[in-house]
Amino acid sequence: MRRTNQTARLLRWLVEGLPAGMLLFAGTVLAQEEVASSIRRYKQYEASTGYYEEYEVRPLRLRPLVGIPGVREGLFPYSPTGAPVRIRTRLSDSHLGIKFYENLRCEKCHLDQAKDLHTVRANLTCRQCHGGEPIAGIDHYYSPMNPIRKHAYICSKCHEGSTASFASYIVHEPPAGSATAKSTFPLLYYTYWFMIVLLAGTLAFFIPHSVMVGVRELFRKRGKAERK
Amino acid sequence: MTPTMRIRRFSKLDRLFHLVLMITFLIQAGTGFGRMYTTSSWGTRFISIFGGYENAALIHHWVGGLMIAGFTIHLIYLITRVSLKNPWKSIFGPDSLVPNLNDARHLWQRFRWFFRLGPHPRLDRWAYWEKFDYWAVFWGLPLLAVTGIMLIYPQTASKVFPGWALNIAALLHRAEAVLAVSYIFIVHFFVGHLRPSSFPMNEAMFAGSVNVEEAMEEKPAWVERLRKEGKLEYAAAKSPALWYRIVYFVFGYSALLFGVYLLVNGIVYSRYIRLH
Repeated sequence: MRRTNQTARLLRWLVEGLPAGMLLFAGTVLAQEEVASSIRRYKQYEASTGYYEEYEVRPLRLRPLVGIPGVREGLFPYSPTGAPVRIRTRLSDSHLGIKFYENLRCEKCHLDQAKDLHTVRANLTCRQCHGGEPIAGIDHYYSPMNPIRKHAYICSKCHEGSTASFASYIVHEPPAGSATAKSTFPLLYYTYWFMIVLLAGTLAFFIPHSVMVGVRELFRKRGKAERK
Repeated sequence: MTPTMRIRRFSKLDRLFHLVLMITFLIQAGTGFGRMYTTSSWGTRFISIFGGYENAALIHHWVGGLMIAGFTIHLIYLITRVSLKNPWKSIFGPDSLVPNLNDARHLWQRFRWFFRLGPHPRLDRWAYWEKFDYWAVFWGLPLLAVTGIMLIYPQTASKVFPGWALNIAALLHRAEAVLAVSYIFIVHFFVGHLRPSSFPMNEAMFAGSVNVEEAMEEKPAWVERLRKEGKLEYAAAKSPALWYRIVYFVFGYSALLFGVYLLVNGIVYSRYIRLH
């Protein structure tokens, strides 16, 4: 009996005392958090540290939004019917096996990629970022375009001091209102349609409103002139 | 009260805010449209007015800074307008631009009036469409300011936001600018210049005062309220000098022409641009 009481007391102490203690000494408790390294907390005040833990340094880091629509990822990711083109983003030569490749221009296949601000405004050529042959897929481990090092190897050629976060700016962004954008960059897609609806809605309300005011005032004035 | 008497509608400071906003807005619209359309033949020609793409960007950034400063001053001014004695009335009263239930009622009445189903709403000092004009700028300006600053300082911005937020910022900046420009150059200019009761120009924002007869016709509740409170004599204002009228007529019509020019070319060449 006495022993049961003691066990109950111990249990009660654990159930009530521990949470109370955790609340009272929250700072101390949080400090007990198991972390992998000393620079982990650095992230809390800077979105892009430029530092990478070993377990973080792997392809696909910081590419949460870019993908190929219609491509299944998971158990059978590379099905030939699953995608209009084979995924070449992990090859060391992404154009491997393309016939008459030497005679083609980039825009022959990558037409949409030649319409972005970097190409149109800054007059950059493809090679200035993507480099010479062979052009490695952007997820190939040793590619300069790999998000691990893109900011340092590519972006900072012009944008001095660019960080990994800065490099996650999507240069070849999908057309903002498209289904591609919906699956690969949803925030861009919804922002676009929100602004389009706002623009169309405002004008669809105020243009007929103005026309009606104009018509109505015109006839009111004419009526008045007749009375005089 | 004589029929030619004028009553004050906008203070000198109000008019100064409007003038500064007008000039900066037109410069931003010009440099911004010039940059947006720089890949089209018209854009290339048009942007040369501002000294080319790079100079237009420089002007756009500095004038943007000026607008932010102006908005900040305006915010401080707004705080000073809240009366400590009667904060409720100064915020939600008829002299305030804060929308209230009356505006919804006026909107409904005005729709009925469009189709001759009822009388025109008895408007007070600010009509609902005038309030919309104000609040459209009020929320548009901070949005353009924040996205604009992000785009001027992309490196710094990407420390606070992930880098792909710059894609969103660029889209928002353009879309909001297009919205503002089309609203101002279509709706606001129509209300200010072209609608029959204000043609050739609604002078209130430049003269600062309106003819009491006109006010009686359009804003009867306002005049009545002033009369009831005995403030009508207090609100009396002088009519603007002839030279001043000439100046603001020329200025107003230049702005109108500039706006229509931008808008027409913007629509004609719209196939050369994307919103992002």
